Amino acid sequence: MSLLEIKNLSIHFVTRYSDVHAVNGVDLTIEEGKTLGLVGETGAGKTTTALGILRLIQKPQGRYESGEIIFKGKDLLKATDDEMRSVRGNEISMIFQDPMTALNPILTVGDQIAEVIHLHGKCSQAEANERAVKMLEMVGIRAERAGEYPHQFSGGMKQRVVIAMALACNPSLLIADEPTTALDVTIQAQVLEMMADLKKGRGTAMLLITHDLGIVAENCDDVAIMYAGEVIEYGTLERIFHNPKHPYTLGLFGSIPSLDKDEERLHPIEGLMPDPAALPAGCKFHDRCAYATDECASCEQELAEMESGHKVRCARVMKGEI
Amino acid sequence: MTRKKQRDEKLAANLTELTRKQGQWREVLMRLVRNKVGMFGAILCIALVILCIGAPLFTKWDPYEQAVINKFIYPGREHIFGTDDFGRDLWARLIYGGRYSLLIAFGATCFSTCMGVLLGSIAGYFGGRTDLLITRFLDILQAIPSLLLAIAISSALGSGPFNTMLAISMGGIAGGARMMRSVVMSIRGNEYIEAAKATGSSNARTIATHVLPNTIAPLIINASLSIGGNIMSISGLSFIGLGVQAPTPEWGSILAVGKTYIRDFWPLVVFPSMFIAITIFGFNLFGDALRDALDPKLKD
Repeated sequence: MSLLEIKNLSIHFVTRYSDVHAVNGVDLTIEEGKTLGLVGETGAGKTTTALGILRLIQKPQGRYESGEIIFKGKDLLKATDDEMRSVRGNEISMIFQDPMTALNPILTVGDQIAEVIHLHGKCSQAEANERAVKMLEMVGIRAERAGEYPHQFSGGMKQRVVIAMALACNPSLLIADEPTTALDVTIQAQVLEMMADLKKGRGTAMLLITHDLGIVAENCDDVAIMYAGEVIEYGTLERIFHNPKHPYTLGLFGSIPSLDKDEERLHPIEGLMPDPAALPAGCKFHDRCAYATDECASCEQELAEMESGHKVRCARVMKGEI
Repeated sequence: MTRKKQRDEKLAANLTELTRKQGQWREVLMRLVRNKVGMFGAILCIALVILCIGAPLFTKWDPYEQAVINKFIYPGREHIFGTDDFGRDLWARLIYGGRYSLLIAFGATCFSTCMGVLLGSIAGYFGGRTDLLITRFLDILQAIPSLLLAIAISSALGSGPFNTMLAISMGGIAGGARMMRSVVMSIRGNEYIEAAKATGSSNARTIATHVLPNTIAPLIINASLSIGGNIMSISGLSFIGLGVQAPTPEWGSILAVGKTYIRDFWPLVVFPSMFIAITIFGFNLFGDALRDALDPKLKD
């Protein structure tokens, strides 16, 4: 049995003026100890999916329209609030995008980590403090600095603190929402390397949200490409990187500038992502797709298995036309 | 070589110790102490508090003991502030009476601050319908002028120190709650609140450990500035006969008696007024200084 199985998850944000379809029928599976990369451009529904797993969608606007989130055999969508609280931070924890704002400015970093341990560990405050210091040392921060406040740390250090906090209770799943976007490139590499090491040592599974395909290539076992709230291509790292099929995935790879060719211009995907409050009929990508036919604009596409371990949501790919 | 290394290590250890100890509060205290006007206010307040708490040490007279033969004595060696219409020593009555004035003012400030924190943080944190309900309730409270509200409440509950405290505090709830609500709303949007929820922290715990500590500064400022106003309201209520009743010495009620003799015997009006004025002056100066110290950005 897999650790986490998301089936047909749909999350909509309903306000008086609009009905935003943020996530539409997403299916994902994460195996124990494996890393799934969730890739897509801004607004594709990656973060909403992640928050959806933890049931942290803003209420009352955010609604689960359908779906199941099976974590260790239990449906999280049916869990009570108390059960959910014991899952958050304990079994599933999350690393946020911006370490500058993810830490409380008026609590020392040691206290913040100890808070999480104390919350779930049911141990004394003194023990929690001790473990917090150990966690800090594990992410490469000297024990003496536990009594310092977040503003005394640099961005990369803060992200280390956030990671220490997320891993403090030995979760079986770590959701990392663009953990390195706010960091500069050299620090990115350090942080990712450290995360990979910690993950390996503890057997933690990870959902890595990013729009950097380079990071995916380095860290993930499986990849899901999201577009307009749908998974449009899903498979193992090798299948996706060596044999991308969906026109959008091809476009993503095509837009990465090549190092060894002398190119004048970049090759972006033309157009913009559709407004999630007014999604087009048929394939969501058809108006930007170079291969689209009239049929694409009218027929809903299914995520279908193209080869073993590789699913694509495109009728023309399935027919072998692309 | 080794000595140098040792010295460096020692220095580094001292430095970390220093940064740890020299926290935010220490800095605030330093800024506060450096503000001369504020310190003057603080000294006034502290002096008053000491005077009131240690009242028996500063006078030999009993504030309740009447001696009609001695009535309306002008300030002199025996009675430094003179005596009132029943021959009681005015200085004794003023410093004993300060106990009531200050205690009621502190009590009312505490009560209204607590209520304000409770209502404001709930409204600000949860938002939506809860917020709407609480805000409308505050609107109703605020629609009534605070002194009028205090008069209404104390005439309904009856006089006495405790009821006066309750009546005064009602007027302060709305302002405190509103301030709290806006502060909490701005904190609620921060990612570390979401991060706290993602670690499984319950709403109550999130508010207590992550939201409230961030609101301490504006809260202290609000409380210290409202003490002055509360003293004024208490004296006002006692002055019109709804607050603390005679023979209990209270500045407002002493003043109310003095009003009758304003043409013939000035000490009975001047001295209680002076006490009220100095107290309010002191607390406002101190409150202002505290605000500058806690939020140095506000000053310029």
